[in-house]
Amino acid sequence: MEGELTILDGISLDIAAGAQVAVVGESGSGKTTLLGILAGLDLPTSGDVWLDSTRITALGEEERARARARSVGFVFQTFQLIDSLTALENVMLPLELRGDKRAKEDAREFLSRVGLSARTTHYPRQLSGGEQQRVAIARAFASRPKILFADEPTGNLDTRTGAKVADLLFELNREAGTTLALVTHDALLAERCGATITLEAGRMRSDIEQELAS
Amino acid sequence: MTPALVLRFALRDWRAGELRLLLVALLLAVGTVSAISLFVDRLQRALEAESANFLGADRVISSSREIPERFRELARQRDLTLADLITFPSMVSPAAEDSPRNQLASVKAVTPGYPLRGTLRIAEAPFGDGRITASVPARGEVWLESRLFPALGVRIGERVSVGYAEFTVGAVLIAEPDRGGSFAEFAPRLLMRTEDVPATRVIQPGSRIDYRLLLAGDDDRLADLQEAIKEELAPNYRWRSIRDANASIGRALERGESFLLLGGLLAVLLAGVAVALGANRYARRHFDHVAVLKTLGATPAEVQWGYVGVLLVIGVAGALLGLLLGIVVHLGIIAVLGSFLPVTLPLPGPRPIFVGLVTGFICLLAFALPPLLGLRKISPMRVIRRDLATSAVPVVTYGFASAGSLGLLVWYSGSFFLTLWALLGAVVAGGVFATLALLLLRGGRVLGMQAGSTWRLALAGLQRRYRENVAQIMIFGLAIMLLLIMLLVRTALIDEWRAQIPEHTPNHFVMNVAPEEADAVQALLTEQADYDGELFAMIRGRIAAVNDVPAAQWHKRRRGPGRPGPGIRSERNLTFAEELPDNNVVVGGEWWPPEGTEEPSVSLEDEYAAALGLAVGDTVSFDIGGLPLTATVANTRRVEWDSLQPNFFIIFSPGALDGYPATYMTSFFLPSARKPFLNELLSRYPTVTVIELDAIILQVRSIIDRVTSAVELVLYLVLVAGVLVLIASIQSSRDQRLKEHALLRALGGTRRRIAGALVSEFAVLGVFAGIVAVVGAEITVYALNRQVFELSAGLHPWLWAAGPALGMVVIAAVGYLATRKLVSSPPIAVLREV
Repeated sequence: MEGELTILDGISLDIAAGAQVAVVGESGSGKTTLLGILAGLDLPTSGDVWLDSTRITALGEEERARARARSVGFVFQTFQLIDSLTALENVMLPLELRGDKRAKEDAREFLSRVGLSARTTHYPRQLSGGEQQRVAIARAFASRPKILFADEPTGNLDTRTGAKVADLLFELNREAGTTLALVTHDALLAERCGATITLEAGRMRSDIEQELAS
Repeated sequence: MTPALVLRFALRDWRAGELRLLLVALLLAVGTVSAISLFVDRLQRALEAESANFLGADRVISSSREIPERFRELARQRDLTLADLITFPSMVSPAAEDSPRNQLASVKAVTPGYPLRGTLRIAEAPFGDGRITASVPARGEVWLESRLFPALGVRIGERVSVGYAEFTVGAVLIAEPDRGGSFAEFAPRLLMRTEDVPATRVIQPGSRIDYRLLLAGDDDRLADLQEAIKEELAPNYRWRSIRDANASIGRALERGESFLLLGGLLAVLLAGVAVALGANRYARRHFDHVAVLKTLGATPAEVQWGYVGVLLVIGVAGALLGLLLGIVVHLGIIAVLGSFLPVTLPLPGPRPIFVGLVTGFICLLAFALPPLLGLRKISPMRVIRRDLATSAVPVVTYGFASAGSLGLLVWYSGSFFLTLWALLGAVVAGGVFATLALLLLRGGRVLGMQAGSTWRLALAGLQRRYRENVAQIMIFGLAIMLLLIMLLVRTALIDEWRAQIPEHTPNHFVMNVAPEEADAVQALLTEQADYDGELFAMIRGRIAAVNDVPAAQWHKRRRGPGRPGPGIRSERNLTFAEELPDNNVVVGGEWWPPEGTEEPSVSLEDEYAAALGLAVGDTVSFDIGGLPLTATVANTRRVEWDSLQPNFFIIFSPGALDGYPATYMTSFFLPSARKPFLNELLSRYPTVTVIELDAIILQVRSIIDRVTSAVELVLYLVLVAGVLVLIASIQSSRDQRLKEHALLRALGGTRRRIAGALVSEFAVLGVFAGIVAVVGAEITVYALNRQVFELSAGLHPWLWAAGPALGMVVIAAVGYLATRKLVSSPPIAVLREV
């Protein structure tokens, strides 16, 4: 038996509505796991998570999914577009799931906001990495989420493209007043957020410092 | 999710090509099954109709008593067509008073409309080919079978007397459909009208008369009539269909149907496997898709119902298109086979359509649904952690699939045994095969260490993904096994049928040859007909006593009074022989030496001996025309009664029958072109009796030929289904394989080497699958042949070489063709796509 592996331990944090928080740390420090738990994709073995004043740790999978549909948007390092759908259809997807009648119009509008109105009928594999991530950003904002979770959004892009994508992300975020939780190990990107949480081996740096101080 | 959204998702998946394999598999499942069942249904109807010719009707009620008028009324009420028929033996003589010739004839009196099925053939001269006629003799007219003309010395237009009445000879009767395959009616036929029977005054109390009511019409109505008069039938009236009427045709039909069902059943299994593979691949390609949907807020229930909805869309499309395909394919089959088939096939009933549709939906539920149900469990975390283990296919999936196949098979075949044996084969195959496949893979890896680099690459690849490969070997093995089963059973069946009536089967019997004429008749036959046999003595006699106990007493003691069975005291044909006749096998005791035995010995047919309680060593006393003869039972024989050779219950040792009054008989083959020879034979030896079986043999052969071509056709359809499974299976493992090989290419492997490794990998899988298939096929075919088709069973050594070779070639070829395109595209494209 290998015994249980503790990935996150003693994490306690508040992210205020409209705040922009970066989660940084080395590979394996638990950033991604933390993001998954905050967004309700996964459940912690102990502890609670409140998302938009809902205690999502008390919810079943069905309700958590609904909570996500209501108030959460995602941008992933690997874009996570669906290969078999066009750019437009990918953006429409969250709107369609909500039963939004204006899915197509809204999606078109967001695609033009990210500068891709000419590529609506293209499939992901016909788009460059930067373009794919812009589609993903359009998809994330199209459902007008209250909270946006971004997992290394520029991690798969070269520096210049990454910077452009980051600009777009922060611009749309500012316009919509969305709460942003961003996981990255890019120090420059982290600096653009108002606050930074540093993880080390599953614990928050500030906590560790406190422990050392006391 | 709204239905509109589901439909949109389904359309998008379709556009992306994700659903194509699944739809094609489903299409072929429904298409194959409905094509087979449409064709089989129509062919069965046609065969039944053709076989009905043997009865001259669809059903017959026969009795030694007059058929009650009530039966006729009830039949008429059900819109059935009917005809009456009375058969009785009677002496016939030329009307000229001074004529000394007279001849025992089997008189058949009929009403207009006879025969209800099949046709009468008549001619203007004896032994001609004749022409079909739709009429029956007019009142006051009789039609005579060819051999009655030389026997009576009459010509068409002359008068003959039957009992107290005189008739005009109207035509030569060449063939009647219900002549019967047995030798019960030795006497030549005279056909007349039932209305003329009373005038002959032949029918007296105690006469041997067979009354028949011929019935034709809709199957359901016939069954309804049978139900209505069931109580009144027993024990004096017999209800007969073709299956009761002619054992060998009935058996050929039944086996043929069993085989067609087996074919349909295996096609269902194969198509089901293809559907399962298609669905599995679809599900696996949707793991990420589902994870994304979930992060976007789709609930597990929505995911589940969404995919069930997509499946439903595909199901409806697949079932309807499949049905269309089935109809087109079966029309194609009929067009191709046009010349082999009966002139027109009857229209199919509704069942094949229903069978096709239900098959499609059960295939979906049992084979396609389970992997898709697993999708709801995909964790959304997969979007950020690609390595997150995906839940393995749950055991319940296999439960679904097994239950589905079982239900489908039992329902489809309607035959518990057939299903049981086919499934038993599959289960045994499953257990043994997994172990075998694993051992083969392990062994292959060890061998591969010594092999060249291409093979090493291939074998290492196989061993690395042994779980998937064991599964794939089993699927390939299953497909090949099912094909081998079909092939072996078909071969056994057709051989058996062909053996039953080989070319040059004797088609005429000559009997009643006087001892002094025997040599001359034999010489004539040798000269004119295809004949090299010998004449058998035929002496009429009965058993008088057994072990000194009078026969009647022996029989009563053994059977108890009133029990049915062959009468011990009935008169039988006796003969003697030096050598054991062909088609006979000694089962008890020993055949005597050619010079005979000192004391008279006798050989008895096995079942006859058993029924009379006689065993080797018993002493049996015979009464031969008043003369006694006592002999010891030397042996018992099994006789092939269908062989159309002279067969005897009782054969004596040579010399035992010397001095007893004998006539001689034999059978010979006469091609139809040389039939007029019979005229010469009968004119020269007027007392000789000739029995013509050529028409019956032709009929039996034509039915068997048609069943045979149907059987072969179904084999081809199953082959198509089998190839589909192979393709589906290769497709479903394509992504994994290609990813590996693309990586190898990225690392610098040449295209040639990658292609080589892929082909080698498939070839090895093919050989292993072939071995596995041969083991399974041998076991299943053994069981099927023994239990269902009642054929002799044995191993097939050639198969052990052919199976693996076939597996290697076919799977390497299909595998290479299915993956070729991607091997030759740039590695980056492959890596992106999968």
